[in-house]
Amino acid sequence: MAKRDGPEHDETRGLTRRGLFRSIGAATLVAGCTKEDPPLHPESRAVADVDGAIGLTPTPLEFVLDGQPQKLEVEARTTLLDLLRLDLDRTGTKLVCDRGACGACMVMVDDVPRNSCMMLALDVAGATVTTVAGLGGSSQLSALQQAFVQHDALQCGFCTSGMLISSSALLRRSAGQTLERADVEDAIAGNLCRCGTYPHVVDAVLSVANGGGGSAHNVVLLRAKPSTKSGGA
Amino acid sequence: MPGKTKLSVGYGPNIKTINVELPPSEPRPWDTVDDMTVVGTPQPRIDGPLKVSGEARYTHDIALEGLLHAAVLRSPWPCAKVSRIDVGPAAKQAGVGAAIALVGVGDKLIFAGQDVAAVAATRPELARAALASIIVEYEPQPFVVQTRDAMRDGSPQVHEAAVEERRTGADEPGAERAQGKLSGNVRPGRSQKRGDAKRALNKAPVRFEATYTTQCHTHSCLETHGVVVRWNGKKAATVWASTQSIFGVRDEFAALFGLEPSKVQVITNFMGGGFGSKFGANASGTALAKIAGDLARAADKPVKLMLDRAEEHVCTGNRPDSIQLVKLGATNKGKLTAIHVQAHGTAGIGTGAGVGRNAASVYTKVPDVLVESADVFTHAGPAVAFRAPGHTQGAFAMESAIDELARQLGMDPIDLRLAHDAHPVRRWQLELGRERFNWDARRKAAADMRARNTRVRKGVGCAVSIWGDFGGTEARVTIEIGRDGRVVVKNGVQDIGGGIGTVMAQVAAEVLHRPVEEIEIQIGDSKLGPGVGSGGSKTTSSITPAVRNAAELAKAELAELAQTALEVNSTKNLRWTAEGVSVGRQTLSWADLCKRIEGEAIVAVGFRARNSAAHPRSFPGFETPEIAGAQFAEVEIDTWTGEVRCTQVLALHDCGRVMNELTLRSQINGGIILGTGYALMEERVMDPSLGVMLNANLEQYKACGVKDVPEISIVLTEVISGNNSTGAYGIGEPATIPTAAAIANAVGDALGVHVRSLPITPAKILDALEQQQRASQGGTK
Ligand code: FES
Ligand code: FES
Repeated sequence: MAKRDGPEHDETRGLTRRGLFRSIGAATLVAGCTKEDPPLHPESRAVADVDGAIGLTPTPLEFVLDGQPQKLEVEARTTLLDLLRLDLDRTGTKLVCDRGACGACMVMVDDVPRNSCMMLALDVAGATVTTVAGLGGSSQLSALQQAFVQHDALQCGFCTSGMLISSSALLRRSAGQTLERADVEDAIAGNLCRCGTYPHVVDAVLSVANGGGGSAHNVVLLRAKPSTKSGGA
Repeated sequence: MPGKTKLSVGYGPNIKTINVELPPSEPRPWDTVDDMTVVGTPQPRIDGPLKVSGEARYTHDIALEGLLHAAVLRSPWPCAKVSRIDVGPAAKQAGVGAAIALVGVGDKLIFAGQDVAAVAATRPELARAALASIIVEYEPQPFVVQTRDAMRDGSPQVHEAAVEERRTGADEPGAERAQGKLSGNVRPGRSQKRGDAKRALNKAPVRFEATYTTQCHTHSCLETHGVVVRWNGKKAATVWASTQSIFGVRDEFAALFGLEPSKVQVITNFMGGGFGSKFGANASGTALAKIAGDLARAADKPVKLMLDRAEEHVCTGNRPDSIQLVKLGATNKGKLTAIHVQAHGTAGIGTGAGVGRNAASVYTKVPDVLVESADVFTHAGPAVAFRAPGHTQGAFAMESAIDELARQLGMDPIDLRLAHDAHPVRRWQLELGRERFNWDARRKAAADMRARNTRVRKGVGCAVSIWGDFGGTEARVTIEIGRDGRVVVKNGVQDIGGGIGTVMAQVAAEVLHRPVEEIEIQIGDSKLGPGVGSGGSKTTSSITPAVRNAAELAKAELAELAQTALEVNSTKNLRWTAEGVSVGRQTLSWADLCKRIEGEAIVAVGFRARNSAAHPRSFPGFETPEIAGAQFAEVEIDTWTGEVRCTQVLALHDCGRVMNELTLRSQINGGIILGTGYALMEERVMDPSLGVMLNANLEQYKACGVKDVPEISIVLTEVISGNNSTGAYGIGEPATIPTAAAIANAVGDALGVHVRSLPITPAKILDALEQQQRASQGGTK
């Protein structure tokens, strides 16, 4: 379904290589910050040796996305984020910084939250990928998604899918243990929100982890009402 | 009908009755006597499920048949003449549908990041790759990017002639065009004046003088600026835009291409943050809508242009930096007699985004005040209004100076403020904050830590804000009540994250006694009728009165149907409840009532009337209520490393009538968190020798993450003014004004010396401590 027309080689070789270099930078960084190395390391065949190289023609890729097996062909330079957004219509996953600094593009790869802008699409060969859409649709929200709505853990909503991925990974990891605010803060430390939803995100996650309403509101509303004695300004 | 009526207005227990004259068709504003059942309650936002499932489609997410993706080549030089440009090679690259030059030979480029050429291709990476083949030759010229350098005689001049000022709906309401004459790179702007501040300063027995500086701060919206343009023939277009002003985009797009505004449809179903930067079709430093429109025409395909993160930092606006010289005059007993502020700041090549004003307007009891401000041109991307333009810089300087003067006079800074601020609500907030923040005890504890010279110090500070209800009258809200009982509320306003759709539903639900979830809200499209730009914190106060007024008109029609059906003499005898409408024991259900509607639906249109009351005080120069706010902050500082954290903030705000406590809390949190980043972390760094921004990303441009956020408490001091039919004001901007100033004052309290420069980094703290130590060793106090 996502098979795209690849650019013709002769005309665009240089361009493709450029894209590949960019992707290599990303792949190396990912390798540096996660436990497992990505399955593919294209460094060694970056430039000259064209025969059998990955990167100049689309390469077959199979993985599971939000519960559905995918079988397609992608170019080596294509990031996982671009594949999701441009080819597979998973636009709930957002592009914000494109270099691993904000967490808006987070997806779960085999239960580990990863910045999809920092992975190549080919890195998820054989893996299971869950995007925000895989957590629950608008008419069958998961408990965590519902808690986000109830606690108003979103404003513009652009960071929200990343926040949800980080925090649902936390809930999976903690498997029913009671959580502290600091645990949630650790989990979403890589998610940037410009609207300032952090306190409500923490409230929402705690309400799911620990049950009940969860949050101390810290809000006092002093209504304009005549006192029982007498008014007078 | 046009009427004089009495309203019960006020704040807290201070309620009084005022007479107001209402325009025709205006319902009696909800006052303190009205009991609300839906308005004011915490309601989760109605589009929450779409946002948490990723189903909400932002401009970034629009996919259309044949859509091309655009990329823009930008000037690498801060100042250069173009000596050659050839986009021909780009047009031949794979996947490219169009390539256009945006400058010609001989054109002068005046900031690094300015538009040079653009390409549209089938994939974003192909568009970016094609840019590399465009041939441009530049003749670099001298430039200046630092504000102080630009103010020096003989520094390279950014503009040779008068500058056309770009104004947007996010500018400070009432701000007139600056008239000052350009001298070098400095152009004087507006000044605020009362009495003769210079003379009063000369006569003052106590004088205080200090220079405060603030950094350039970028909006950093998570969704970058962007548009999708689809031409529908030659004379009409559909534009999806990430904007705070659908109608601003429509009008500018129409003007750019010589179209009838009515032939341009603008859609913003969801948008990922604007903070003042997203007004108009183009951004302040890049003609994105013009580029996308031209590319779409050239390629004969729809085109999407979404900026990348670096572009977002350098060419879509920022909050100008500032250098503010503040002079205060006072008597020995602590009576302020004069305030004189001279503020300079750079809006890059632009103007008018505010470099520090307004804060002095709080102190109405000071007889002589002069606030002068001037734009300084530099070869950097143009600034644009940013959440409370001019106010945050002004509040930092003024509120810092007040604290420093209090220290000099040995006074409590709250007492000094109370003595010069006549706004009763702000005075009340300061008193409430003093008590709830445990101010006296914490100040003592801070003094004790200073005296013992502890490694870790704590301190507390407070600062205040001023804003107004700038709600506009231009919106037209339509309500339809169908024979099937459906209620649809329509308006072409955009939701920038505040949750306007949700409060619209609440207001309609309140008037019609319907459940919130049964009100259908349609917003985000210019076809839905005139909305209002979301700037000046006026969306809620412009739109909700129009919703109420439309709902009241529709209800009046329903009431007539009910009157006939229930055979009563007057609609006044009808009781409206969740079940429907009743008289005595007789009840007509909502469904049965709606079945009596003739034709398909009742359709009513409402708008907000002009202001009717400004209780308890008006905003200076306006006939609209002044909005008061005060914030208290606590900081913790490691004096060995200079590490500083803001640990707690107490925010006390007036936002008129509270419409939705939940989304309101979100906005206040957001203002405080933005202000915390401004106080301690965020800063655009320009390289003076290359003239480029060094940290145009999100890892070195440091916005607050969750661990930088203080514990926040909020006190809402509701004010009912009768100013509009719902009584709503705004909160988006007021909530961010005092934060940085309060944090700076807390740092001053912790250290015993003020850090006069934002952001307050560890290095600046260590510097301040060192100077303090030197001063005490030098024998001076
Ligand atoms: S877009 Fe991937 S981390 Fe920011
Ligand atoms: S909700 Fe807007 S960025 Fe987080």
